[in-house]
Formats: sequence, C-alpha cells, structure tokens
Amino acid sequence: MAGTIVTRLLTSLLVVAGSSMLVFLIMYVLPGDPVLQMLDGNATSPEAIADLRHQLGLDQPFYEQFSRYFIHLLQGDFGHSRITQDPVLPKILEQVPATLALTFVSAAVSIVVGILLGVLSAIHRNGIIDVLARFVGLFGISMPSFWTGILLLLLFSIKLGWFPAMGSGSWKTLVLPGIALGLVGAGFIVRMVRNTMLEIISEPFILTLRAKGLAERAVMYRHALRNSLIPALTMIGVMIGELLSGTVVIETVFARQGIGRILADAIMAKDIPVVQGVVFFTAIIYVSVNVLVDISYSLVDPRIRRST
Amino acid sequence: MKRQRFIKWATYVSLTTALTLVLAGCAAKGGEATSSTDSSAAAPAVAKPVEGGELTYALATSPDTLDPGASGFAVSHRVFRNITDSLVVQLQDGSFQPWLATEWTKSEDGKTYTFKLRQDVKFQDGTPFNAAAVKANFDHITTSARGQAKSLIGPFESAEVVDDYTIKLILSQPFEPFLSGLSSAFLGISSPQAIQQYGDQYGKHPVGTGPFKFVSWTENDEIALEKNPDYNWGPPTADNRGPSHLDKLTFKIVPEEATRIGSVQSGQLLAAEAVPPQNIAALKNDPQFQVDQAITNGTAFSLYFNLKSDIWSDIKARQAVQLAVDVDTIVKTLYLGTYDRAWSSITPGLLGYDASLENKIKPDLDKANQLLDEAGWKKGADGIREKDGKKLILRYLDGSPNREKRNDIAAIVQQQLKAIGVNVTLNITKDTSTPLKEGNFDLFGNSQVKADPDVMRSIFQSGKEYANGGTNWSNLSDPEIDKLLDLGSEESDLEKRKEAYTKIQQYLIDHAVILPIYVFPYTVAHPKTVEGLKFDLLGYPQFYDVSIHK
Repeated sequence: MAGTIVTRLLTSLLVVAGSSMLVFLIMYVLPGDPVLQMLDGNATSPEAIADLRHQLGLDQPFYEQFSRYFIHLLQGDFGHSRITQDPVLPKILEQVPATLALTFVSAAVSIVVGILLGVLSAIHRNGIIDVLARFVGLFGISMPSFWTGILLLLLFSIKLGWFPAMGSGSWKTLVLPGIALGLVGAGFIVRMVRNTMLEIISEPFILTLRAKGLAERAVMYRHALRNSLIPALTMIGVMIGELLSGTVVIETVFARQGIGRILADAIMAKDIPVVQGVVFFTAIIYVSVNVLVDISYSLVDPRIRRST
Repeated sequence: MKRQRFIKWATYVSLTTALTLVLAGCAAKGGEATSSTDSSAAAPAVAKPVEGGELTYALATSPDTLDPGASGFAVSHRVFRNITDSLVVQLQDGSFQPWLATEWTKSEDGKTYTFKLRQDVKFQDGTPFNAAAVKANFDHITTSARGQAKSLIGPFESAEVVDDYTIKLILSQPFEPFLSGLSSAFLGISSPQAIQQYGDQYGKHPVGTGPFKFVSWTENDEIALEKNPDYNWGPPTADNRGPSHLDKLTFKIVPEEATRIGSVQSGQLLAAEAVPPQNIAALKNDPQFQVDQAITNGTAFSLYFNLKSDIWSDIKARQAVQLAVDVDTIVKTLYLGTYDRAWSSITPGLLGYDASLENKIKPDLDKANQLLDEAGWKKGADGIREKDGKKLILRYLDGSPNREKRNDIAAIVQQQLKAIGVNVTLNITKDTSTPLKEGNFDLFGNSQVKADPDVMRSIFQSGKEYANGGTNWSNLSDPEIDKLLDLGSEESDLEKRKEAYTKIQQYLIDHAVILPIYVFPYTVAHPKTVEGLKFDLLGYPQFYDVSIHK
C-alpha cells in the first residue's frame, strides 16, 4: 500500500514537471511577439523594443530561457506578470481558494446528483425517474456549462433575485456557478453509474444474494452500489480535470475570482509567466485529486487492498 | 491492470485537453488601443444632488495598473480619473481651462510651457501639492518603460521647478497636442510621497488629489474608492466644486455582458458599461432605465489598406473596393442604429474634422466594376477577376475575440465584394501582430482613442510602420502627408492646423487609403435614480457630479 502511494506520488511529480515543460514549449513556439503586444503600438523606436526584449530575457536562446525558468521555479520563484509586474505566486495563491471552493461545490453537485440519479434510474429501469435521469445525463454532457450558467443566471438571479449574479464572497455566490459546472460532471456520472449498476444487477452473485433472502435494499445499496463505485471514482478523478478547465469559462460568466479567470486573461495578453504559474497549480490540484482517488479505491474495494 | 491503464489514458486525455485550451487561447491580440469618448449624454438637469450613497459600476475588463504614468488601458483611466486631477481640463469644444494649474504661458518658440499652480491643494495622503510634486511625476513617467503617458508627452525633455508654485515643462520641439495630453488622466498628478513609498507597487496603491480616495483592489472582483472629504478644487467642467456627492464608488469587474447588464436590470448594481446594441433599445423603452451614449473620439474604426501589397498598391483597385462596400448597410445591420457611421479617418468631435467628407462616397457597383476593368482585372469563369493568371484576392485581417462585432463586418465585406469579383479571404486571429509585421495582409481594421487629431501622425507618417514599432498599418509613405502631419503637430495657429488636418483627411479618402466604418459610442446603462453622470471629450465617464436619488 505504502509502496503504491510513493510510486503514485513520484509519477505525479513527473506529470506536473512534464506539463509545465510542454506549456513552456507551446508558449515559446506560438506566433505573436509579447514585446510588441506589451507596447501595443506605443513603441517609440526599434531600440525601445530591443531594450524591453533584453529586460525580459527574450533575446536569449531557447535553452537558456527554459533552464532559467525552471531553476527559478525550483527556487519557488514563479516570476512576475508581464502586464501588471506583480509577482506571480501571491497573485495565484490569492485566487486559488475561490477556484477550489467552486471546484469542490461543483464536484459535490456532480457526485450527489450523479450517483443518486444513476442508482435510482438503474433500480427503476425505464420508469419515469429513469427517463428523467437520462435526460439530466444527456443535458449535462451536451450543454456547454457557460450556456447553462447564463440560463440559470437569467432565471434565478435576474428574474427571481434569489442568488447574486456575480462575485465570490458569500456561499450564495457559489450556488449558481456550482450547479452550472456540476451538471456537466453529473451528466457523466449518471450514465456511468446507471450502466455499471445495470451490468452488476444482472450478475450471478446478485441472484445468489436475493436467493438467500437478503432484503432488496441491502442487495442494491450494500452490494450492487459499492461494486459500481469503482468506475465512478475513476470518473470523478478525471472529472476534476474537466471541472478545473470549466472554471475558466464559468468564473468569467459569473465574474468570480479564481485561477481560471486569471488564466483566460493571461492567455489573451500572452502573459507567459502567469499562464505557466496557473498551469503548474492546476496540474498539482489535478494530480493530487487523482492520487486521493487511487487511495480511495482500496477503501471501497477490499480486493485492491489485498492485492497490493 | 486494466484500471490503471484507464487512469493513465484519462490523465493524458485531460492534460491534452488542458493544453489544447491553452493553445486555443494563445497568441497576440494585435495592435489595438481601447478607449472611449463623449458627448451626447447630457444628463437631465439635477434639481439638488442627494448626498451619500454608493455607486456600483460594472466594468467589462480589468485595469492593468492604477499608476496613471504606467497604464496603457482605457479602463484604467476610467478608474484613476477619480483619484488624480490634471493640470488643465479640456472642454467639449477642444479648448482648455485651468484645473490644478491656475494659468499658463507658452514660449514664442512653442517649446516651453510655464504653469502657475494652485496653492490650496493637498494629496490624499497629506503631502502638499506643489511644483516639486509635479516635477516628480514627470520624472516618474520618463523613467517608466511603457504606458500612454509617455506617448502623450511627446518630445518632452525636462521639468524645471521655478519656485514653489511655478513649474516649467520643456520640450525639444513644438508639440501642439501637449495640453490635450496634460488634461488626460494618464498624466494625472500622483503623490510623490506615495510613488516613492510604494515603488513598483505604486499601481496598487494610487494616491492623488482627486475627489475619490483609493481604498482597495481585489483582483478580478472589485476596486473600491471612497469620498475625499477635503476635495475643494473641482474642474470648471463640473457643477460640483466641493467633495463628491457619493460616499463610495465601487467598480466591479464583470466581463460577461449578460451578467453585467442583468445585474443592473435586477438592481444588484447601479450602472454598467459597454451595453450591447440589442439591449440598448430594450433599456431605452424601460421607464426605469436610461442608457447614456458618449462618442469615443480619436480615429474612427476604419479598414486600412496595406499600400505595400502587390495588388492593392493600385489606387484604382482600392477605389473599386471603396465604391463596392456599402457601409450604411453594415452599420445598420450590425448595430441596429446605435452606432454612427464614420466618414473620415477621425471622429466628428476632434479638432479639424472635415464634415465635407460626409456623404461624399456612395456605393456604385457599375463604377467599381469599370475601375477594375480599367485596371486590367477580367472576370474569370468562377466570377472572380484575374490578371496575368493571378486571382484578385483581398486578404482581410481582423482581431479576435470579436470586439464590437468587427468579425461580422469582415464577413459582410466579403459578401459585398463578391459582387465585383473580388475574393476576400478572412484571417481572424488573436495574433494580428505577426501578419502586420510581415505584411501578410491587404486590409486591417483598427480604431484609436485620442483627444487630438495628432493621433494621425502615428498612423500615417512614414517611418512609423508597424515593423518599426509604430502603428502605420497602411505603410503610407508620402512626403506631402509627412509634412502636413508635422505642421499639424507644431503649428500654433489654430486655423492653419485645421487646414492641414482637412487636407490629410481628404487625401485618405481620395486615395482610398482607408474605409471608415463606424464611430464607437461608449455606453452606460443605469436606473434613472442615478443622476449627474457626465463624459469628457474622450468619452470617459465622470463620477464627480453623480448622485443617487431614492
């Protein structure tokens, strides 16, 4: 068990390092001159452009820029934003809590709605609940979250006034964006849980359990559901990635703080140090959640505990 | 282990998705200065302003910095205009009045300005306002690397303290737009004490002499200002003279337009900027709400021909396009009557605007076809014209995201030019700077905000091509125009200045260098209880006179 965790942590480090390097490479080869963009036509002379390029170290060869960035990163120095001149690390740390809160709430919505509807629809196959659950599944998967977000906003904030349309202060501000984003994940989980449950219900051991006279409730919730949870757990790990990328749009729609919003702005402005920083943090969150998911398999499924 | 393989696979897929997202968003946004201007938004006569209250105002984008001397963004100007005052103020007619300066003189050679300063003014941190403070601001600007301020002061050389309340600003050559620059908040005067204390973090702790004090800035959320109770030196453009009516002024940053406008409609915020055309009509019909529109002065949004392009260096070809593009239809279709059509390179509010250009060019397909025939372009089998085996292609370059529906303009132009056998290829990209630098385009859309027609010097003077770090997108190079632009910049006789700018504007249309499309109105939606919102010559909102009625 401990060995598995250590291995997973080590591979996680590789994933974080690898994604940072890839993004660095991509930002480097992308067209567009950050210096011309920063000056935005205000450059007074070619010398001014060369000066700024030198100041930013952009006149150095690729391998030097690359190694310098990573050496600084290892020292905990994420650099400075090219637009606001702020140090990147505090800027991101300031915004991380808002994104984590949103990711947490939307993950909770996904898991609760997803598992509940998935189980109910499998139990009441072809009933009204099943039809409803399948609709939620299809809706969640096919509707872009920003569109759901705008619809929720128009109804619950602007028409009914129940929730604020923007901001990231109170718990109320989390409700609408949490649902808009959570429905996407719920869509995936409903379908996954429903299918797995149906598969498992038709397996011989369920028949055995019923034959020995176990109550239907116990059969369903203690045995069928627990066996269906492994694929759902894997799904949740992957889904966190979806949710994190979803925050980029949702945070903008609901004018929330968060690293997704900084990322969107930084990409537009080609503010490479900020893009790098946000990708680094996103990778860390994503990887940590997946390590947790791995560990939780063994809690759900004793066979995994024994086999390792 | 099947499961582990699935996890690995899933990890790769997610990372790829994330990277694709990054990629999709990447690239430069091209040369574009934003900003806005003013005029038509005359607020109804206010009986007696109510004191107190908080105005919440939704901005569509976030400021870069609140250091006036270092910022390049119009949105930042909207915020720090309230924190800092300027030496002079520019009126709607383009003339100037005293503000922090009580009077000024210009030397015979036009290179030295001497300002007498008010003696009763204090910065919000208690630092006295005097000649040394003004000098410290100019020193701060000249040492910083970027920002609008640096281009607004032009050939500025040095500031000299004559006595406590007299300062001399010395230029290396005459520069007529100087006062106009000084009136801008980009050259608003900051507390020298604060500049020194906060160093490169000054942009997060601005201190000026203005009617509102900076309180806090929560990134991507809000910027909070509060009343400066000592304020007693309002500009002559305002009704108020003493402290502001509002207790608090809070800017919320709300990029999504449905959220921004919806928040005002539902009463969660009191005002929002950048109202989309489709909302303007609805809000105007609502008895509770009002939409203020202020013209953004500067250059109109125009399509600039690349005069170095093989095909389009031919004036006949350009004139054919000029006659085939139906600008009225474009503007009416896309902006539903909320934007005005442009006729010249500059907007009607600027000094020297040539009104004789209005209605001069009318769509005429026959004439357009005839011009292309004369230029040797013959229609091929597919309806596209050809000459010497080469197709008549127009490479239209436009920025992304689709700001002010400019990409839709491109699509309509593409349709309209089909009628005369021109094949328009669209290049809509975030990175407009690369094609501009490499000359891989024939037509490019842009607008700039400035209070002085000298804005044209950076766009049409030779030597200021984009590849040289300038904004001469058209690569126009005509010694006659260069001479007129210099004359406009240096001539102190107002009539002669106007004459120079008239000639330039006519040249641009007669030689079909540009196709002016629209004049951008800065729009603000607010309930009628919010009164006294005014706009300056550039269309920037002025909050000093605002009051909120119950």
